[in-house]
Amino acid sequence: MGKFILRRVGQAVIVVLAAILLVYVATYALGDPFASTGDRQVPPEIAAQNRAIFGLDQPLPIQYINYIGNLVTGDLGLDFDQRRPVIDMLGAVVPNTARLALVAILIDVAIGVIAGIIAAVKRYSFADVLVTVVSTVAIGVPTFVIGLGLLAFLSGVGPFPVVPRSFTDQVPWYQEVLLPAFALAIIDAAFVARLMRGSMLEVLRADYIRTARAKGVSERRVIGVHALRNSIIPVVTYVGVSLGTLLGGAIITEAIFQYDGVGYLLFRAIGSNNAPVISAVIVFGVIAYTVLSLIVDILYAFLDPRIRLN
Amino acid sequence: MTRSKAGLAAVAVTAAASLVLAGCAQQSNSGPPAGSGAQPAVGFPETPPNPEVPGGKPGGVFRLGITEPTAIDPYNTQESEGQGVEDSLFTGLLEVTPDGEPVPGVATDWSPNDTCDTWTFNLKPGTKFHNGEIVDAAAFKRGWERASIKDSGSEVSYHLDVIKGYDEISSGAATEMSGVNASNPNQLVVTLKNADCEFPLRTIHPVAAPMPVAAGPTSNTAFNDAPIGNGPFKMDGKWNHDQGIRLVRFDDYTAGPKAFLDAIEFTIVSPSNGVQLEYDGFVNGTFDWARMPAPLIAQNRSTYEPQGKWISRKTNATNYFVTGDTTAPLNSVDARKAVSMAIDRNAIAQGVFKGAQVPATSMIPAAFRDVYQEGVCDACTFNLDEAKKLAEKAGLKPGTEINLFYNTGAGHEEWTAAVRQQLEKNLGLVVKYSGVPFNDHLNNLEAPTMSGLNRLAWSADYPTPGNFMIPLMATSSMKLDAQGNVKGNNYSRYSNPEFDALVLKASATKDEAERSKLWQQAEQMSIGRDLALMPMFQRQQFRLVATDRFANINMDFSENPTFDKIFLK
Repeated sequence: MGKFILRRVGQAVIVVLAAILLVYVATYALGDPFASTGDRQVPPEIAAQNRAIFGLDQPLPIQYINYIGNLVTGDLGLDFDQRRPVIDMLGAVVPNTARLALVAILIDVAIGVIAGIIAAVKRYSFADVLVTVVSTVAIGVPTFVIGLGLLAFLSGVGPFPVVPRSFTDQVPWYQEVLLPAFALAIIDAAFVARLMRGSMLEVLRADYIRTARAKGVSERRVIGVHALRNSIIPVVTYVGVSLGTLLGGAIITEAIFQYDGVGYLLFRAIGSNNAPVISAVIVFGVIAYTVLSLIVDILYAFLDPRIRLN
Repeated sequence: MTRSKAGLAAVAVTAAASLVLAGCAQQSNSGPPAGSGAQPAVGFPETPPNPEVPGGKPGGVFRLGITEPTAIDPYNTQESEGQGVEDSLFTGLLEVTPDGEPVPGVATDWSPNDTCDTWTFNLKPGTKFHNGEIVDAAAFKRGWERASIKDSGSEVSYHLDVIKGYDEISSGAATEMSGVNASNPNQLVVTLKNADCEFPLRTIHPVAAPMPVAAGPTSNTAFNDAPIGNGPFKMDGKWNHDQGIRLVRFDDYTAGPKAFLDAIEFTIVSPSNGVQLEYDGFVNGTFDWARMPAPLIAQNRSTYEPQGKWISRKTNATNYFVTGDTTAPLNSVDARKAVSMAIDRNAIAQGVFKGAQVPATSMIPAAFRDVYQEGVCDACTFNLDEAKKLAEKAGLKPGTEINLFYNTGAGHEEWTAAVRQQLEKNLGLVVKYSGVPFNDHLNNLEAPTMSGLNRLAWSADYPTPGNFMIPLMATSSMKLDAQGNVKGNNYSRYSNPEFDALVLKASATKDEAERSKLWQQAEQMSIGRDLALMPMFQRQQFRLVATDRFANINMDFSENPTFDKIFLK
């Protein structure tokens, strides 16, 4: 197990380094962040001075190596716009995104797994057809349509706070997180329901299920324990990866709901060509994703002893 | 992240589709009307300023949405949003009315010597910073030096570059600004590098704000996020980045009339859909002042104007074409006028902008109420017969190639495409149409080969028409480098000794009325006679305002609410 984890961490480091390199090349291609743009006219000598402060006057490979060096010591640099430490900016939004991601995953697992089991157990029934139709529609509708729809019809109703609201109107986090979490969960829940249904149907045909029934195990226990445990593996894979993706930030949903998370930060950083923030968010996203897939792999072993990690 | 990116792409596709559709709608609109007679008024009329009502009492919280400013610390305050906050926190030597008129701020009066190269500002004694420090002449000197010093990283300190000693301090050769004398606490004496009879107007820019000792250098992040100013409002806590900024009334304010509002709450909205969010916030009762998306302007005007909740004002900016005045094919006045008269600005204003921008018939915008000359550019009116005559005279035959360049990603695609279509149709020109990112666009403008039409917009940094005339058209603003690239802002390479003499004279004229006349003459010459630049559209702004709850709401010179006058009804 130790060897396995070490190997995966080694892979993760390579992935992170490659991701930073890509981000660096991409933001470099965006052009000079200190040049005049539109209404903002920056005198050339001041632009040159700012480039020197941020080390942008050096060749790209040197910039990249410096960045990696700083990253190792936990220094993510200052942002171009307001000269704030990037680590603080990221630190302020990560908890919000983590909450959003976890609530979204809880909602989608709850809806998806239950709907999937019902559809599988009552195959070809009305419930099954309903699940199939609704999940097809949900998968087909883009996130931003769902987000804008929820925003238009539900914000300001009941527990859902209005958007936008004055920043002084404090709303408890669990209220603020509900609508964006639903927006994110709907598509995922649809996927989970389909995965669950398919995999459950397969498992229900297996010999050990028949054996369990023959032994007189209650139907509830057959489905809830014997079948569920074996059929949930693809769902765990999907949910783990999905959680990793969500932790990296849900750009559209967070922007629609003015939710102060990682995705919204990235969105604004891209808009203002703020390379230090873009790099930091993407590095964070890559790390979150890699760690989550590692955890998923380890979970496999616990769920199914037949799977060996090497 | 994959999912979100797909969403983003979908948004982009939708946006692109609507551009294309609007472009098609435009085609049927942009055909030239028969003849060249009087044209109907285009766009939405301005609303008169809300009259000032007496009887304000302290109270009320005014709320609005803004996008995250670059800085609210004056050393680097840049855009309108930052200025709205900064202007409430700081009072400079002078203040500006919504009409662009300078009025006393901390200074009671100001006067130059005979040659306008030394200015004396007398200050109100005993006005205070929010921490109790006294605002004296040294506070201004401190503020100007803090912004100009080499390590400040200020992107706006160059507005002070007319002051003697600026070059030394900004290059690191000095730590003091030798041209600023603050030895008398109630009198600030400023020596300039050259005569400038409008120097006091420059001090309206945020960068010329006074600074308390507590400010420290610009690297003091605690101060950057919670500036201690001397304005009618002070910070309530610090700037919550990406969340909001809350200001409360400063009760010891004596530099002018005290404000009425208890507090102003700036809620920070996403820049991507900020306009929509401001509008949604106004509709759901969160905000008291809001912009609205362009497609909703007409509908909201009909809803809110009868209720008195509608402000419409032409503001301080002009959208124009930089013309290649020294390169074929636009190197003659006739050629420029022919092209200008062949463009139907009204049709574009209606078809593309749906009335949200109005055709410009002058370079100096209507925000300068005293100097504004509607129609000074007679070639800015669509007149096809005249255009054809002039084109023939100038040798602009059908088939002549002309560049039409714009910068991408800033919403200029549609209207420049309409211009292209009109020039091809009306004069038979072959338009080389090209959009590039702004930096490349600037490089094109600087190059000696620049020709044809090149989109640009300009707004004055401080309220003088000279800030349109001199940087854009004076020979001294060309600043050619060794390769012949323009390093100033006179990209057209308009060079007219007569005009240069006129603007110099205006800058050196003390009497305001006389100076205004000289600015008008300068515009008559450069725009009316020579069409050195091609004015296209005037900036016009629309706001929804909660006049049911607040009185005395107007739009100030930087397009923000007049916070210090507003009171709760």
